[in-house]
Amino acid sequence: MLHWATSKAVCNGLASRVSFKSCQRSVWRPLVSGNFMARRGYAELFSRSKPHMNIGTIGHVDHGKTTLTAAITKVMASHGGAKFTDYNQIDKAPEEKARGITINSSHVEYETKNRHYGHIDCPGHADYIKNMITGAAQMDGAIIVVSATDGQMPQTREHLLLARQVGIKKLVVFINKVDQISDPEMLELVDMEMRDLLSTYNFDGENTPIIMGSALAALNGQDDKIGSEKIVELVKACDEWLELPPRDLEKPFLMPVEDVFSISGRGTVATGRVERGVASKGAEVEVIGLGNTFKTTLTGIEMFHKELERAEAGDNMGALLRGVKREQVRRGQVIVAPGSIKAVKKFQAAIYVLTKDEGGRYTPFMSNYRPQLFLRTADITVSLTFPEGTPDAAEKMVMPGDNVEMVCDLHFDVAAEVGSRFTLREGGRTIGTGIITKILE
Amino acid sequence: MLGSLRYAACPSSRRLYSTEATKVPVKLIGELRKLTEVSITKAREALGASNNDVNLALQWLQKDLITSGAKKAAKVEGRFTGEGLISTAVLSNGAGSRSGLGHGGVRAAMVELNCETDFVGRNELFGRLAADIAHTAAYISEPSGSVTAFQEYSLDMLNDAPLLSEFQPNSQTSATVGSAIRDMIAKVGEKISLRRAVTLVENPPQAHSNFGLRLASYSHGSISVPTQGRIGSLALLALKSPKLAELLVSEAFRNDLARLERSLARQIVGFETMSIVSPAGEELETALYDQQFMMFPDNSSGATVREVLGRWGIEQGLAESEQGVDSGGLAVLDYKKWTVGETADPSTESPQ
Repeated sequence: MLHWATSKAVCNGLASRVSFKSCQRSVWRPLVSGNFMARRGYAELFSRSKPHMNIGTIGHVDHGKTTLTAAITKVMASHGGAKFTDYNQIDKAPEEKARGITINSSHVEYETKNRHYGHIDCPGHADYIKNMITGAAQMDGAIIVVSATDGQMPQTREHLLLARQVGIKKLVVFINKVDQISDPEMLELVDMEMRDLLSTYNFDGENTPIIMGSALAALNGQDDKIGSEKIVELVKACDEWLELPPRDLEKPFLMPVEDVFSISGRGTVATGRVERGVASKGAEVEVIGLGNTFKTTLTGIEMFHKELERAEAGDNMGALLRGVKREQVRRGQVIVAPGSIKAVKKFQAAIYVLTKDEGGRYTPFMSNYRPQLFLRTADITVSLTFPEGTPDAAEKMVMPGDNVEMVCDLHFDVAAEVGSRFTLREGGRTIGTGIITKILE
Repeated sequence: MLGSLRYAACPSSRRLYSTEATKVPVKLIGELRKLTEVSITKAREALGASNNDVNLALQWLQKDLITSGAKKAAKVEGRFTGEGLISTAVLSNGAGSRSGLGHGGVRAAMVELNCETDFVGRNELFGRLAADIAHTAAYISEPSGSVTAFQEYSLDMLNDAPLLSEFQPNSQTSATVGSAIRDMIAKVGEKISLRRAVTLVENPPQAHSNFGLRLASYSHGSISVPTQGRIGSLALLALKSPKLAELLVSEAFRNDLARLERSLARQIVGFETMSIVSPAGEELETALYDQQFMMFPDNSSGATVREVLGRWGIEQGLAESEQGVDSGGLAVLDYKKWTVGETADPSTESPQ
């Protein structure tokens, strides 16, 4: 590792100026943040020892979300899988910037035997939505926290609707403060009501794990039966019930084309960073998008002027394409495993419009607004309209700071699918960011 | 549902609750909660105190809410409320309106109701309460007779006023605005505060006058009800024309007027608007009349609000010609624009 950092510094001609301290930092940083290395195209750090998953806590302000989070870190710390984070350190929900967008959220992390969890807590609905749209920390599952003394509340419906909206398919429920209820039948009622409500909102009410315990007892190390044992049970339920998102390596191959070269004697080479999947030399691939979709063969893979047999997610590669002219491939297209993704021209998306403080627009816009849409390496003019059935669509306006669902009609087709993220730019500045929710054409 | 059968099938497993005299069937608790949305413990207490009679329990709860709601309200008192809704109620939008109270008069209100999280702000119960409070404020205000059109409505007076529901105008409840807010606090467990209220009541001008008032309103960021959202605006317009009475009879004119009003109300919300006209000699972007009227659909040339209003008056026959502005036309007299949380100050209200 040290060797790599030094050689990198030497390459940049900085060897003499790099002090030991900064050298040390650059060695240390990749251990904390996978992204740091990933950007440089070194694939090996993607294969962490444990699969990673982001989960969030959602619940009423007084039902003990933060206490539960603190309790989880404490109990997991005693198993060696976390650093204990106290209540006061969590409850800040600091503002942070993801792609220039301000989101209030607090993060902790912990490890179980099988997984590594990033744990998110946002104060409000709008923050979770921004989180989803920007992909700052995509939630793959959530723990709904409900107090046994209150049961579900009117806003629990909003909590479940939110979970649906941000694409969470499975939840785990933690019924907190059970020490304040002495009658087990009452707990059964809370359980039953919760399952009913889950089913109403299209979650699997029957099989969703519901854990009953006391986060405070776990945090204070009292009454292990309802305290730490229940936290262990909760985390185990997360491990078993919440489904891991497919890892980048397991997905079908996709490489956005960044640049195209013509190398005499060899043919056309398209370069880019592999977004997901694995491709081997000789594989059939499809070039998709910008009105020109065709099949070809990957006759060669190059990385750092060396030929490789295989490229995988995270690699910066050059793809040698058989029988393809330079003019046939353009930046903005993607090279993919055949049939794995389609070129689309029209889709519906959830869009967050940046405020002027975030560098966005000062004024509202109406239907038929036409900014530039950037998706991977593609840059396409798009026309934004309201989904069919929107009341007063002709007069409706969208203001900076709004979360809005809109139909995007592209000038050219581009490879995209539900969940693909994009940004909207106008006159060189980012005015919005979005995630595709439905493919229309 | 299956669950409730399960409970019915095994009554022997029920235990006596040590501190309660009567045992409370879980099924009844569930039933009571469906009716009232009170907390589980409260539902149990109510049934315990009323011999498992759901109707008696409902009465017990109503009485209890007065004390327990107040207790809960006191508990959350110090918390910060920066979310919620701006809710507008327009009972009569002025000249030409054929419905509502007072033909041709203006009667409207706008209130800001705050809560702690936008989860509660998005909840239907909260939205209905905000709408009812706005409705109440609009209903009970009196014409002020003062020069300013908009009147800040005293929150103390509003809190003591009986809550009038827009949705159930004939319901007989003894609830006041204040007690309804306390009930909501008990239900959602968050601090709910009525931050501000403004009303606008103007009697219609005398019959066959060449002068008329109109009210425009818009709410941005509505979740379910179009009259409430994150930002709200009310704007008072004056129409003047010798032919006003006959124009107002025409449906086409009224439709065009309504469209212009919607555009104006949107313009005020969508753009940073601090005043109607710029101070003499200046042209400020924050003055409504000097802004490009982007929210008016037929304004591709980018004319200002002042220009569009002038042109509109002539096209619609309010004014005779360019010179005849004194003879007739349309003007914005006053407006209010509120954004949720803009006056909330986290430093004076500590977060939790």
